[in-house]
Amino acid sequence: MSQAILAKSVTKTFGTGPLAFQALKGVDFHMHEGELVMLAGPSGSGKTTLLSILGCVLGATSGKVTLFGEEITGLPESAMPKLRLSYIGFVFQGHNLISSLTAEENVSFQLQLRGFGLKESRNEALRLLERVGLGDKAERKPEELSGGQRQRVAIARAVAGAPPLILADEPTASLDAKSGLSVTEMLRELAKERGHTVLVVTHDSRIFHLADRLVHMEDGQFVEMSS
Amino acid sequence: MAIAALRMMFHGKLKMIGTLFGVVFAVILSNQQAGTFLGLMQKSTMLIDNAGADIWLAPQGTMQVQAGGILPITAAARARVTPGVQWSEPLIFAGATVKRPDGGTEGVSVIGVKWPAGKGGPWNVVSGDKNALGDPDTMVFEDSQRDKYGGMNLGSVREVNGRAVRAGAFTWGLVPFGPSYAFAEYDLARLISRTDSDRTHFVLVGVEPGKDPKQVAEALRAQVPEAVVYTKAEFKRSSIMFVLTRTAIGITFGTATLFGLIVGFVIVSLTMFSSVIDNLREFGTLKAIGGTTGDIAVLLLVQSVMYASMGSVLGLAVVSLMANGIRSAQMALNLSAPLFGATVILMLLLCIFASTLSMLRIRKLEPAMVFR
Repeated sequence: MSQAILAKSVTKTFGTGPLAFQALKGVDFHMHEGELVMLAGPSGSGKTTLLSILGCVLGATSGKVTLFGEEITGLPESAMPKLRLSYIGFVFQGHNLISSLTAEENVSFQLQLRGFGLKESRNEALRLLERVGLGDKAERKPEELSGGQRQRVAIARAVAGAPPLILADEPTASLDAKSGLSVTEMLRELAKERGHTVLVVTHDSRIFHLADRLVHMEDGQFVEMSS
Repeated sequence: MAIAALRMMFHGKLKMIGTLFGVVFAVILSNQQAGTFLGLMQKSTMLIDNAGADIWLAPQGTMQVQAGGILPITAAARARVTPGVQWSEPLIFAGATVKRPDGGTEGVSVIGVKWPAGKGGPWNVVSGDKNALGDPDTMVFEDSQRDKYGGMNLGSVREVNGRAVRAGAFTWGLVPFGPSYAFAEYDLARLISRTDSDRTHFVLVGVEPGKDPKQVAEALRAQVPEAVVYTKAEFKRSSIMFVLTRTAIGITFGTATLFGLIVGFVIVSLTMFSSVIDNLREFGTLKAIGGTTGDIAVLLLVQSVMYASMGSVLGLAVVSLMANGIRSAQMALNLSAPLFGATVILMLLLCIFASTLSMLRIRKLEPAMVFR
């Protein structure tokens, strides 16, 4: 399998002087295409910081990060949106759907950002919502959906346009056990059936068994890796 | 992007109403002030507009149609023989008082015109026949002032500067800044205003078809050097400049219009900014999933255009109703298509400019905030 992510000696320091806080302390990390990795650890351990750097929404202080063979460290801020559109789909902890848009519009909006035409994006959005079991709820707004359904819309949005990398930040945090498991199974299905590389940051030990690899972080460093 | 912009706009209904209120407020106040101002300007130049003259000869120092100065009556004859002139007629313009039956008096501006040529008025006659001006000791008065003249009707007799005259017809809306206009045959007006027979106040000139009034005016300046010679357009411009520079009207209305635009701008800015702050996480999400600051700028631009369009339509509808409600002989809002067009353009600029405050916040927004 080809390498999807390669991170070497990545550090991230917030602030300067005596108030400086080092969130990542020389992290080395890699993922293969089609792999599902879960990143676990206590709050403040650096999981989300690493996810943000890999997701091109935050720059590393030092080190080197490569996504699908393209080095992203040192690129200007203005290049980041294009990288995110090319490589990454996000699933956020609080689903972060646009409240004024319907499920279909939330998904097709992402597709339009990725260059799809209006009609094409609508058709594709409906297909993706069918795939996550929400074909009959395409016209509903987020407030008219349950937590699990919202997260499934968020997954449909994340995979819209088939980005190779899915980054999920605590996707089960606001869900009950059953919905959380269902959402994670969907993410695993994406990795195994469609070849997406999926990195999940989570506290939720109930879903650990679905990971290809489980990585524990503490105090800005990896402390344990298990398959 | 446009659909998302509209959905986001209509989703926050209270914010949308607040923003629209700002635009509507700015439209109403600025149009009410500008319309009133333009209406007053129209009043100040209505004699020039309706006299039928291409060129005016006025006493030196004259900047608008005003009483006081005099010209020799020979000016009219000299004008008539100037190349390019088709006709010329003297005009009396003088202040006078109308004596009411109860003994009180009311001011009036008497306009004396040669009859039946009728250059200089009357116009907008709403009752009676303007040809009554040819009858002895007969005048045409302003309909809206009939009560002021003591319940004047057609055939009523009043003393004007001590001379008994009969009301032969009524005009409507001929009320400039000063006393309303009343028309009399030239010689009657001369007697009323006690103007010597060898004197007059203005000379009206019509140019031959196809002649350039500017060139004819140039010839008249040489022919009648004691007069200031204005083309119709020049005299209008001079009258408007007189009002703008010699009275507080321009500053008063200009300030009120500007105030309306500023208040509207502040309301629109703050409500749009507040709407962005309320939805900051959503805008952060848009950035995180690949939207650029430019994409969001387009979104805000679409909203700005919508606010400006909707607010302009609503505001102009309200101000049009207001204009109909307050229309009178003394006051009429001059709401024209160019004013409406300028309003829409101004509101577009106002809303787009108002959204820049929101854009500054969006520009600083880090997509990483969605992970916090």
